[in-house]
Amino acid sequence: MTAMPETALAASAASGWSRRAGTLALPALPVVLAFALAAIVLALAGHDPVDVYGQLLTEAFGSRQRIASTLAASTPLILSGLAIAVAFRAGAFNVGVEGCIYVGGLAAAFAGFTFTGLGPALLPVALVTGIATGALWMLLPGLLRARLGVDEVVTTLMLNFIAISLTSYLVNGPLLAPGAANSATPMIADAARLPRLFSGINLNAGFAIALALVVLYWLWGRWTAIGFETRLAGLNARFARATGLDVPMLIIRMMLMSGAIGGLAGAVHALGNVHRFVAGFSPGYGFTGIAVALLGRGNALGILLAAILFGALATSGATIQLFTDVPVEIVNILQGMVMIFAVARFGLLFARRKAS
Amino acid sequence: MIDNIIHSALIMTTPVLLAALGGLINRVGGLVNIGLGAMMLSGALVGFLVAADDGSWPLALAAAGLAGAVTALAMSLIVTRLGADEIIVGLGLNIVVAGLVRFFLKSHFHTSGTLGLPAVTMLPRYDLPGIADLPVLGAIFSGHDILTWMSWVLVPATVWFLARTRAGLRLRAAGAAPGPARALGLAPLAIRDISSVYAGFLSGLAGAYLAIGVVGIFNEGIVAGRGFIALAAFYFGRNRPVATAMGALLFGFFDAIQIRLQGRGVPAELVQMLPYAMVIVFLTLVAVAARRRAQKVDVHD
Repeated sequence: MTAMPETALAASAASGWSRRAGTLALPALPVVLAFALAAIVLALAGHDPVDVYGQLLTEAFGSRQRIASTLAASTPLILSGLAIAVAFRAGAFNVGVEGCIYVGGLAAAFAGFTFTGLGPALLPVALVTGIATGALWMLLPGLLRARLGVDEVVTTLMLNFIAISLTSYLVNGPLLAPGAANSATPMIADAARLPRLFSGINLNAGFAIALALVVLYWLWGRWTAIGFETRLAGLNARFARATGLDVPMLIIRMMLMSGAIGGLAGAVHALGNVHRFVAGFSPGYGFTGIAVALLGRGNALGILLAAILFGALATSGATIQLFTDVPVEIVNILQGMVMIFAVARFGLLFARRKAS
Repeated sequence: MIDNIIHSALIMTTPVLLAALGGLINRVGGLVNIGLGAMMLSGALVGFLVAADDGSWPLALAAAGLAGAVTALAMSLIVTRLGADEIIVGLGLNIVVAGLVRFFLKSHFHTSGTLGLPAVTMLPRYDLPGIADLPVLGAIFSGHDILTWMSWVLVPATVWFLARTRAGLRLRAAGAAPGPARALGLAPLAIRDISSVYAGFLSGLAGAYLAIGVVGIFNEGIVAGRGFIALAAFYFGRNRPVATAMGALLFGFFDAIQIRLQGRGVPAELVQMLPYAMVIVFLTLVAVAARRRAQKVDVHD
């Protein structure tokens, strides 16, 4: 046996997806419950919840342009949800996708304003730089978990804060745009920008990349040997080991994969939306991604739909704050509650009480 | 200069130490509390509101502790009674509470981010006669408030509680072996909830300390990740109160030094990374040592 630290966390993390999310309630229930509780918050603050929700719906899906901004807002969430789901499948809980988004975004932006002589190759180079940086960022926690049994929840959580501080140091110091007072890098070259998918509509190729990855994720889990092995390792690591699988190696590979997708999320955000790297780059995409992966129950279509739900909330919440006095934070309240209720087993309330 | 650093390091240690000791008890009871920051934030807001308009500081502390405890109880019940994963519930709670606080500030006070109120009663600090003027010792022992004293008294008290009392034994049993504990007639889930409420109470006090012990205004970012620093402290201390306190003290020193280094061209961001990096290094060393021990045993077999 590997020397596991005697933490309850390590034991619980070991069985990953199956233990953490295998017993989810009906996918709609957490959403309904979150909206019901948020309605109470809205009513207490003197707003008509039905009215507010109606406005959110219109702002999110009411026109082609609005649907486009919803899909644009869901793009980083699709990717971070996939990043978390991939690690979950292998039985590892990667809380560090937020950090991957930061380092991946900064690396992609750096490539985008530095290697400007590359011409049309600049965009793919910048994307790959972000992906590679995100993967490298997860190498240490992957190795520590697989080889030494160090709890990846704690290491990846800590790495988030390191990533945020490190990138914030870099954009305030060595990578600060010349002449800029605020913490931001120079703008990336035009060749590094993700092109728009349709002219006149604010939706860039990042969404197409995210969609392609959803399909790949589905194919990977369903049809590939490594996808099957990963699921096996996540469901029952001991059985997987007994069948001859190198489970530690699998965990390292899936942590790298998770980091790579997280880095891609950062790269797409930098090259498609922000066009540079700024301090406070991600509004918690990596954490919302956990809610996305949980609500989607690790299922490709589920992740896509959950990301669109949260993307819709983010974009419409920001809009209605402009036109009404409903604070945009109602969106955070909803997100957090969906996340909590997604893992609550409400069936236990009705189960016969065991002698306890 | 040295006196200043020591004094401000101790001040920065207090909130982390309080929350860390609460989180330690919670973890011994079987729940890893990622939501300490949320409990600190609700304590900070409630304590600040009660202390405003010449409010009473003991009342403010009580209200802050209660706010933290209620937040913790909500989280704990979802974990223990609905079988939800503690990490996810903790992360979700941080998001919900931060959202609720900002929502409340905007809709009730029509302000975003910072809230200043008139005549906030601050925690009184006590100068010890005879000691206050001594170098170093004065900075260590004098000029502190009741929460700082309480946090340090709690360190040996926690050691004693865990090792020597019946309740401490039950707490450890509930955390380490809920099944056998239940067989012995204990209610491990209820014990776990109580340990969460305790952690929430201390975290609420820690939040109030930041609001009415240090700054005197409320800001949505007032906790500044200290819930995670507290988590880092009891991971660093591996559930032992004294080692946890040393971790909290170290982080308090980083906090105090960082403010001074900033003026000397050392980037604050790099100093801010240190506590988190230390936890990773430390967990790695612990794992390596454990593996060495395991291999030695194998050889002797």
